[in-house]
Amino acid sequence: MAAENLIEVRNCTMVFPGVKALDNVDFTLLAGECHGLVGENGAGKSTLSKCIIGDYRMSEGQLFVKGEEIHIPSYTVRKSHEMGIAIVHQEFQLMEDLNGLENIFIGRYEKRGPIIDWKKLQKKGEELLEYLQYDLDLRVKVKHLRTAEKQIIQLAKALLDNPDVIIFDELTAVLQEDGIQNIFRIIDLLKAKGIGIIYISHRLDEIFECCDRYTVLCDGKYVNSGFVKDIDKGELVKMIIGRELKNVYPPKSEQFGDLLLEIKNFTSPTSFRDVNLEVRAGEVVGISGLLGAGKTELLHAIFGNHKLVSGEVLIKGEPVKIRNPQQAIKYGLGVIPDERRLLGLNMLFNIRDNTTLASMKFFKKWKVFQNHRKEAEAALEINKRLNLRYHSLYQLVNKLSGGNQQKVVIAKWMLRNCDVFLLDEPTRGIDVGAKFEIYSLISELAKAGKGVILVSPELEEIIGLSNRVYVMYEGKIMDVVEGENITQEVIIQDLLGVVEA
Amino acid sequence: MSSLEVVEKKNRYGKSFKSFLNEWMILILFIALFLISVVSLPKFRTTRNIMNILRQASFISIIALGEFFVILIGNMDMSITSIIGMTSIYFSGMVANSGVPVFWAILIVLLLSAIVGVINGMLTVYGRMPSFIGTLTVMNILKGIYFIYSKGLPISGLPESFNFLGAGYIGVIPFPVILMLVVALILHIFTQHTEMGRSFYAVGGNIEAAKLSGINIKFISVFAFVICALLSSIGSLGLTSRSLSGNVMIGENLLFDVMTIVVLGGTSLTGGRGKVFGVVIGALFLQVISNIMILMSVNTYWQWVVKGIILIVVVVIDANSKHD
Repeated sequence: MAAENLIEVRNCTMVFPGVKALDNVDFTLLAGECHGLVGENGAGKSTLSKCIIGDYRMSEGQLFVKGEEIHIPSYTVRKSHEMGIAIVHQEFQLMEDLNGLENIFIGRYEKRGPIIDWKKLQKKGEELLEYLQYDLDLRVKVKHLRTAEKQIIQLAKALLDNPDVIIFDELTAVLQEDGIQNIFRIIDLLKAKGIGIIYISHRLDEIFECCDRYTVLCDGKYVNSGFVKDIDKGELVKMIIGRELKNVYPPKSEQFGDLLLEIKNFTSPTSFRDVNLEVRAGEVVGISGLLGAGKTELLHAIFGNHKLVSGEVLIKGEPVKIRNPQQAIKYGLGVIPDERRLLGLNMLFNIRDNTTLASMKFFKKWKVFQNHRKEAEAALEINKRLNLRYHSLYQLVNKLSGGNQQKVVIAKWMLRNCDVFLLDEPTRGIDVGAKFEIYSLISELAKAGKGVILVSPELEEIIGLSNRVYVMYEGKIMDVVEGENITQEVIIQDLLGVVEA
Repeated sequence: MSSLEVVEKKNRYGKSFKSFLNEWMILILFIALFLISVVSLPKFRTTRNIMNILRQASFISIIALGEFFVILIGNMDMSITSIIGMTSIYFSGMVANSGVPVFWAILIVLLLSAIVGVINGMLTVYGRMPSFIGTLTVMNILKGIYFIYSKGLPISGLPESFNFLGAGYIGVIPFPVILMLVVALILHIFTQHTEMGRSFYAVGGNIEAAKLSGINIKFISVFAFVICALLSSIGSLGLTSRSLSGNVMIGENLLFDVMTIVVLGGTSLTGGRGKVFGVVIGALFLQVISNIMILMSVNTYWQWVVKGIILIVVVVIDANSKHD
């Protein structure tokens, strides 16, 4: 029985310090099937795939590959590779300055004596492309290739060792529609050869289009699995988020005040051009876009932390110049960056010092010295309001969980009493419970008359929280969607650059 | 929420014994070393010897406190030896050869040093040179300049009264010790109780987060180099005062000791962590070790070996403590 399964995971539990990333998860992959692995960010999809390829060693549980039980403590990526498991990532693990051929064969060059036999490699490379039925010049440097073409190079590289299992880890997240269709075509090809595919994606439509079976994870727990043809999208969504979608997001505020922030003709040398955007008091403005659309750069540009070629900023109707973050803060802006460990927090500081970092000047004694007690009181009050879980204000922030760290970053700007909060992926790497807390925080900020700009790769989040959504595509605002019109269908079409006639 | 609660929380959980130990390991080691020396070495425990140790530790700790600020922001200043040499030569030259009053000569060399600090900082911040390379280059350029001026020769003829700075006493306490304590106290208050002081820690701990929190990271970084240059210059004036002559070689072997002291004092080489009084204790620790070796007639070359081993041990411990 077990022999039919290419991969079988039984009772897999994966524990990281302080977090149970996977809890008693079962998973099977059959030969010649495409198996969709779905769940929210942080549900454990990536962790499970890393356990399967040996990047992580599961804390408890068993792993069978082609019926053979794997000895977990000595399981490595190299070993999984030898057993015929390959993974293709969304991020490009390619060397940009080498050409396609070099990238495919790196580390596995065919040689004649000490000399690399390029002719032979060229022939083999062309065979691989033929197998994928894709036409591409392998002599071109990878950095000159399009996204979809880079993915083909990655796929070709993965196929080099004739794997029996291929994991597609959010491969399509950065692709456009034609690129995605091409991936589907390749999946059919591979399936026909008896290869098993684990397909990880956020886009549920894709699961219905190309997968045979599905497995749903939620909060690291196994929820369900079965045949895709037996369910509809609504049922799948319910399984993924573990509750009805409606209850997840707090009701949107409807009362908007004056314009807080307007930007006009923002153009960066590299990332975006001619961006116009405005935020009112009490409004949550979403910015949606694919990876590399320029969302993060735009946010940093508003905050004076990204070079601009042109652009005007109006704060409460007054034109101002924002050249650096200090000025941005002076005009009432606050930023919650995507990489909180790298950009948001000082890991060597305790909670108090991180909370007061942007507002030290409000806690002075005789105008010169810091009033430590007042700082502590203020930090304590604000963090209590945010329901921060900690045991002392004087503990270092690196011991806090991701969600609590994020709360400290938000606390920093609430203490500064900002008017406009610029949030960049505020729920990245945060568990579901803390996510909801962040959501209600965002809506509370809006209700308190603050303006919020929300950047997120998660459409649901943008849809659930925003009053208005700006959709960016390759550095341009493609569409502005408001109120009732904010739906998944509309935004996805804009996201993919499909302009409606 | 009451302020009582804040205080209570601090006491109960704020500082665990382990983190206290981590932070003040050098103090405990120093006390142990000191007590052992007092008990076992009769020559060590004389008032005269103890005062000697304090006096010898004083100017080097002032210089080390300068380097402390640069290391605190995660950089390194290699040019201090040349700032020390430059101060010594130009101060002596101005006073002995050109008849500039001592007070004005001091102001001028301090100003010169501050300018060197600004240059070091600009090269690092605006020139984006790694500070190690930038300051190393400045070190050599400066060295060339003051060697050209002095032709490599010492400059003597400083007034006797200037000797007080490095060799004077107030009661039984050497004046340099008092100066060191005053400088350390001011810097302690500066780092722990002012916005700017905490900004150094913020920049060293995470420069990007500091920038996005509205801290003027460029100014803070340049300022750290300026403080370093100024304190090096003050230290140099003290050393010059002891010998009453300007000497090009005066700072030559100091850089290694200074680095050792700063790291011994618990300053993290990657920035963001360290205390002013840690550095002072680091200086005392190193001076006691030197003193013991001198009393036991260990020759200079062996002293280099011992000090080198101490630096290795401390840095290895520091680097590994971050991996828990």
